[in-house]
Amino acid sequence: MRLSVPAAISHGRVYRRLGLGPRSRLDLLRNLVTALVRHERIEAPWARADEMRGYAEKLIEYAKLGDTNERAMRMADFWLTEKDLIHKLFKVLAPRFQPHPGSYTRLLQIPNRDGLDRAKMAVIELKGNPFPPLIRPHRDSEKTLLNQLLKGYREDLQWAPKGTPV
Amino acid sequence: RVSSDGKPEKFQPPPKPVIIDKQKQREERRFLSPEFIPPRGRTDPLKFYIERKDMIQRRKVFNIPEFYVGHVLAVTTADPYANEKASRFVGICIQRGGKGLGATFVLRNVIEDQGVEMCYELYNPRIQAIEVLKLEKRLDDNLMYLRDALPEYSTFDVNMKPMSRLDHEEVPVNKLQVRMKPKPWSKRWERPKYNIKGIKFDLPEKKMKEAQKWSQPWLEFDMLREYDTSKIEDKIWKEVSEGLKN
Repeated sequence: MRLSVPAAISHGRVYRRLGLGPRSRLDLLRNLVTALVRHERIEAPWARADEMRGYAEKLIEYAKLGDTNERAMRMADFWLTEKDLIHKLFKVLAPRFQPHPGSYTRLLQIPNRDGLDRAKMAVIELKGNPFPPLIRPHRDSEKTLLNQLLKGYREDLQWAPKGTPV
Repeated sequence: RVSSDGKPEKFQPPPKPVIIDKQKQREERRFLSPEFIPPRGRTDPLKFYIERKDMIQRRKVFNIPEFYVGHVLAVTTADPYANEKASRFVGICIQRGGKGLGATFVLRNVIEDQGVEMCYELYNPRIQAIEVLKLEKRLDDNLMYLRDALPEYSTFDVNMKPMSRLDHEEVPVNKLQVRMKPKPWSKRWERPKYNIKGIKFDLPEKKMKEAQKWSQPWLEFDMLREYDTSKIEDKIWKEVSEGLKN
């Protein structure tokens, strides 16, 4: 007995349903990708930023293939609606990410949106962007007991004459 | 020839002949059967590795030739109810499906004005021989539209002799455009979703334009749908050739 899969069950489906349909979903993501390439750090609803991340990284991988590659040019032409960004993608972003093998973006969550919908927001940025960093890693304070003991040990190593055990 | 300084000319040996090593050229073209390539998913690669070992084991005992969709094959299976305990079927391969040990191929032939399709599993131990009678690739990967084509395109002589094998260089592509029976067909083959190049559509222009309404031009730019198999294929090719050498 052959039962066709009802559309409501989504076992194993990886694409989220955004916008009005598959075309609209790609258009939405395309606008976000263009904005990311232009501003290098944008705020967007978390679901859209997450979908967009995969496409942005694939686009940079295509850009790494080079300017002369026909397929890469067609992809960049489709995905970037503002045509001056194609030049930026191939000449600025591709050399910047040439040494890295993958993961060119960073996705961080933000407090919920202020409007009525209280949507889960995220900020997505390209690594190596010129803005100040979003997370500042804190070093442990020097005044804790463990750090004071370690500091004392290091000083003893420095000042003890050579050969004597510390 | 007159030498410039008047002395007797030194003997110039003739240029050495360039030996084109045909064996090396043959090895350059590698064919990896499509059922070895694992599908994209979240399954453990160990499962595919174990399956590949079994597939290599079967291939060592029984030779499965290289064939594509569009080849004419003859398959002899063990049959307890046939006269000589073996039954032979000749047909054109219309599709190859499945991955791993369950890989299948469908052969089609028209016998006494009745279209017959037989689906065989490549690794079925009941299969005793697979012979390639005619080598030719077609324009498409899936020839299911032969069901709605005129029966002359699916008839093949049961006692056909195997064609002489060409140089192991290229498989010839037959750019035949098939004529269809009048509509209705089992599937709407003119729609762009099937992407068929091997049919000569005799439909009016209006119908062809209407079929293009279902085209999804954004699909080719959807980068996450692409499955790049080149690296996986290299690894699996090495594994398979190591396994078959022993």
